[in-house]
Amino acid sequence: MFTDRRFVCYWILWASFALAFPGYAQKDSIALDPVVVRGFVPQKFMSGLKIQHIDSASLAQARFQNVGDVLSAYTPIAFKNYGPGQLSTASFRGTSANHTAVLWNGLNINAPTLGQTDFSTIPVAGFDQLSVQYGSAASIVGSDAVGGSILLGSHASVKPFHVSAGRQRASFNNHQAQADVRYALPLNSQWAFSGKTAFYDGRMNNDYPKPTRNTYTLLPTETFQKGIVQDLFLHARNDQEISAHVWLTDNKLTLTPSDEQGREMTRTTAYRTMVRYQVRTLTLRTAWVRDIIDYAKGDLSHPDHSVTDKFASRVEKDFTLNPGSNVNPVFIKTGGEWTHYRSRVPGYAQSPVSENRTDFFLLTRWQPTSRITASVNLRQGFVTGFNPPFTPSIGLEYSIVQKTLYNLVLKGSFARSYRVPTLNERYWKDLGNPDIRPETGWNKEAGFEQTFKAALGGTLRTSATFYHNRIKDWTYWNPSRNYRVENLQQVLARGIELQLNYQRQSGSWRTGLDAGYAFNRSSQEKAYDNYSQDIVGKQLVFVPKHTANANAFVQFKSTRVTGQLQAASKRYTTFDNSQFLDGYGLVNLLAETTFAFYKFKFVLQGQVRNVTDAFYLNVRNNAMPGRSFALSLTFSYDSQ
Amino acid sequence: MILNKSMKMKKQLASSLAVAFSTFAIWSCNQSDPAPKGDYLSGVFVVNEGNFSQNNGAISYFARENNTATADIFATANGTALKGGVQDYAASEEQGIILVDNSAAGQDKVQFVERYTFKDEGSIGAPDIENPREVVIVGRKAYVSCWGTDVSKYSTGYIAVIDLTSKKVTKKINVADGPENLAYANGKLYIGTTQWGAGNKLAIINTTSDETTSPIATAGIANPVGIDANGKLWVNASNKMLRINTETNATEATLAIATGGTKTPGNFTFSNDLKSIFFVLSWFDDAFKEHGATYKFSISDTQIAMVTPLIPRPFVGLAVDPTQGLLYAGVSPSYTQAGYAVRYRADGSLVDSIKVGIAPTGFFFQ
Repeated sequence: MFTDRRFVCYWILWASFALAFPGYAQKDSIALDPVVVRGFVPQKFMSGLKIQHIDSASLAQARFQNVGDVLSAYTPIAFKNYGPGQLSTASFRGTSANHTAVLWNGLNINAPTLGQTDFSTIPVAGFDQLSVQYGSAASIVGSDAVGGSILLGSHASVKPFHVSAGRQRASFNNHQAQADVRYALPLNSQWAFSGKTAFYDGRMNNDYPKPTRNTYTLLPTETFQKGIVQDLFLHARNDQEISAHVWLTDNKLTLTPSDEQGREMTRTTAYRTMVRYQVRTLTLRTAWVRDIIDYAKGDLSHPDHSVTDKFASRVEKDFTLNPGSNVNPVFIKTGGEWTHYRSRVPGYAQSPVSENRTDFFLLTRWQPTSRITASVNLRQGFVTGFNPPFTPSIGLEYSIVQKTLYNLVLKGSFARSYRVPTLNERYWKDLGNPDIRPETGWNKEAGFEQTFKAALGGTLRTSATFYHNRIKDWTYWNPSRNYRVENLQQVLARGIELQLNYQRQSGSWRTGLDAGYAFNRSSQEKAYDNYSQDIVGKQLVFVPKHTANANAFVQFKSTRVTGQLQAASKRYTTFDNSQFLDGYGLVNLLAETTFAFYKFKFVLQGQVRNVTDAFYLNVRNNAMPGRSFALSLTFSYDSQ
Repeated sequence: MILNKSMKMKKQLASSLAVAFSTFAIWSCNQSDPAPKGDYLSGVFVVNEGNFSQNNGAISYFARENNTATADIFATANGTALKGGVQDYAASEEQGIILVDNSAAGQDKVQFVERYTFKDEGSIGAPDIENPREVVIVGRKAYVSCWGTDVSKYSTGYIAVIDLTSKKVTKKINVADGPENLAYANGKLYIGTTQWGAGNKLAIINTTSDETTSPIATAGIANPVGIDANGKLWVNASNKMLRINTETNATEATLAIATGGTKTPGNFTFSNDLKSIFFVLSWFDDAFKEHGATYKFSISDTQIAMVTPLIPRPFVGLAVDPTQGLLYAGVSPSYTQAGYAVRYRADGSLVDSIKVGIAPTGFFFQ
């Protein structure tokens, strides 16, 4: 759908946005620093790296969808999607599904067996905050943060009592329902209590009116998803906080459910629990996560049952180093993490298997002048059987222009990344390899961000980032060795990301645009047998070279209309690039209005998905659905 | 996920060892008909199995004098892919028949095409066709071996009899243990079974009555190769080659293949004079690297000489072109990149190689 030439045009358009505007807005001074929220992930040590916060209005708009839908709409992350409600994995900056860390309140929740997250199993209803950190941040996040990290967070309620319940009905007999209660109350002069309890339940029956589109099958599937989230916070005035977090989620996918012998069921269940205690500069955290995967074909009563437990504890302590009276202090965070895995998987050579991982880290942040922020971060991991490489990183931000109405910041980062092999890669019978080496990479990136406070009557932010990420010992379930895992590949991923955000408010009107374009060139660099000559230099599979996304909204009082565009160029499906899926562009429309009276609110939302009825295929070579509709109504009561 | 995939791959690899011998049976060139029209008149059709989970099998085509192929002629002719793995291809006088195997249940089909243009002429899907394996055309009927829906115990296998005029399945003849390779001669269809099943006999169907007759018991899973120059049926069973009298169904000779207990023979194919048989003997080392070689023996040999292979490498498909006598061998570097059709002379010397589709396991000559 999008030819390369058209993408070049977009590219030039964006580049001119990013580059041409400085002359326009250099008016005056005082720029506000971006708000640094005290969070579960030490983002303030990520200087030099790009972090994108998805705003709460955008998240609320997608409250009945999965996180993959939000990320597709707002970021250039490409998803390898097997179909609606089916396996959906991320390719972040041209890397594989194993190279995106997904953190829930700071804890990596990638399934330890697979080393990846199926984004179709993470509903937006399960968390309160979503940020995307681009590029390698292994020194801060640890393993898996090679292409980038997805940060999911819980947020302490500030409302004394708030309850909401909603339901969505969509085409194809698909339904979603959810309810949550948020509460906060002071316990005494010192301590305050707050919390959230949420439920969600989704039933995607995918009853397509026609079994095919353009002669391609719309595969019959059904996905049932349900979960509970419980967050409790005890906060004290003397900078103490105790919090507990529980997230139980269950996702059951069945392919061709009405075919009793051929149907395939994959059930993914996760129990995630965490307790965290923070007193001034010391934070302690301990977590237990159980991931269960059940798979069955035909007879669903006796599935292959695999269970993995992860026990993880973390200690971190903040220090401030004062080098001298004329020198700004250096902020330091140091700590360690201990993780124990225990896994029972039917396909493993032995059961159970267990593994210990330990990490020590030292993070620093220093602002020598008001214009410069620097971070030097160090991390060393230790894993049963082998040790991942020492992982340093350095990040720098330089504020070239700091004016009232215009800000320009240059950013750069140079970081080592690593990925500890997954449990499957080490312990799978015959095909796994206990001696497989951790992957390691060096990521370089540079870019700038600029903010115009009075552009076109609103606030305009643009950024451009160039990156170059070489990953060695890239593991590969080698298809020419019966899918035995090997450290075969060396991959170079490089590209550019352009982003633009514009917000304007005047009277009762609000308008906004969020748009991005990314170019990703990701290729295998090393030949390893005769026929790999056909693969060297070729674009990695399912990594589109070009992606673009745009979200534009117009809001009048409490009515908002949003248009979304997601586009991707062709995705090669074979390593030699001999086959590919065509590029496509998707347009979605959302309209939402809120009726409020007394302390009650009703939010009515309508969606038209795939407005243009675009035809595109998924990984299985099956058609994706055409135009469809969704209508939802959410009721809420707020005691304030 | 990897578990299921890798298991599938193993099975797929095994099933790919089947070659479309049936193509010999129906190969005919009727010179008296008005000259057919189309882009695919005279050349080599390659059956590319594709990667199972990606449903990306295809038929490639090249003229004999060329060394580049059109990777997917069904897509070229119809603007849409076959949407599954391709298990086999055969053609009647005007019609091509493609066996399409999708990774999802209920999506398999027999796809009909116009023989010379490859234009879509309709298809038969589930429940008539489930997990099709191989096709043989006899007159105006096509016989398609199908595993049915049960692919764990192979309890639901059958031969689908298709009337080529009405394009309908007129009969399903039950065959146990996963019917696989087919060979036809003199009104009899010989049916082998998958190596993953428990079969130990060669089923026989009388193609006049479309009824089964008494099977031939074999020591090991039967894999019929075809009828030799003397009218004898050759069958591979485990590590043996059986020469069978088709009148009496008696085994007249048994030749051992020196497998060393670990190597697997497969991809049997006759030479043009029907006096020699080519085959591949392969095995995997501990790191799952495939090793092996391609051998040739004469139907008059009293034992199969294994000292010097004809070609010191294994292949996933093997067939001899009736027109030129060249040996066509399929090379599949992996299920995630295009394979090659490599051409050899009868003495095993290399001619050239042509890039085709993914996992080229079979050839059809026209």
